Amino acid sequence: MKWRVLPLATHDAFYNMATDEAISDAIAEKKAPPTIRFYQWKPGAVSIGHFQSMNDEVNVGRCKSFGIDYVRRKTGGGAVYHAENGEITYSVIAPEDMFPKGIIESYKVICGWVVDGLAEVGIGAQFAPINDILVSGKKISGNAQTRRRGTLLQHGTILYDLNVERMFSILKITNEKISDKMIKSVEERVTSVLGHKKISEEKLYEALLNGFTKGKEFEFGKLSPEEIEKTNMLVKTVYKTQEWNFMR
Amino acid sequence: MEGVARHKVSGGKLVTVKVSYSEKIERIQILGDFFLHPESSLSLIEQALIGISASSTSEEIAQKIFDVVKSNSIEMIGVTPESIAQTVLMAVKR
Repeated sequence: MKWRVLPLATHDAFYNMATDEAISDAIAEKKAPPTIRFYQWKPGAVSIGHFQSMNDEVNVGRCKSFGIDYVRRKTGGGAVYHAENGEITYSVIAPEDMFPKGIIESYKVICGWVVDGLAEVGIGAQFAPINDILVSGKKISGNAQTRRRGTLLQHGTILYDLNVERMFSILKITNEKISDKMIKSVEERVTSVLGHKKISEEKLYEALLNGFTKGKEFEFGKLSPEEIEKTNMLVKTVYKTQEWNFMR
Repeated sequence: MEGVARHKVSGGKLVTVKVSYSEKIERIQILGDFFLHPESSLSLIEQALIGISASSTSEEIAQKIFDVVKSNSIEMIGVTPESIAQTVLMAVKR
């Protein structure tokens, strides 16, 4: 099946999350092809996992004073700080029968595309179940997947640059999260592309694009008018609402 | 009474349980960075735990969760009925 690739684009947190859901719905209704999209966040944002509490995970007051958005994802997983120009995010949205039935196996397939992309710029990365990609034992990419109406959605971030101070000031990192791995600080468990290779973000994007499209039939495309309409609707009725973002 | 407990599942994810209880569990919220498909079914698990005795054993709570998981074809990743049950017990200070 031919893939649609939506090239790197920058939007706010609400539009980014709504776009994933609108595409997922279009694919479930057989109105859109399997899609790979790359995007960034402006302004920077924190996304939290579906089952997390916004107030427990995020220093909301500090986000407001820094002009950083905060949004709840449809997918599970943890809280992520998406710095403006600090990472490249991808989404893979496709009929679930194009992937292994097992969740971990399907993570492995898509995370393998990230690993292939990083290999193109000389960074040796490994998939680390459940949902991480590591370089020299440190996390460079977090990923999250959901399946709905026969459609798989996996999105993930590839850290380009790391602002630990800002990340720490916005996310509330619990001791339990760190102590399990006997690791003292976020610096010791997270890394970025720039920490390994001094390459431009454009170069990283090209490499990821190659990793994701290798061996696939694909064409660059755009959202359909129906997907755009749905995205705008979801921004207003879900992703920007207090009810959704503070439901836990 | 109210209680909160946080538990890092070995080889898995972080689970937090917030609970209000007297003789029975009156309100419960299960939070964390785990995965559960379909996502909407977490509320079914929470509902199933409301009204159970606050002195239930870990096995009894885990069985209650397991029944919901089985009857609704829920898939849990990074968390188990047993680990949620343990966290519930930690939150209910006895």
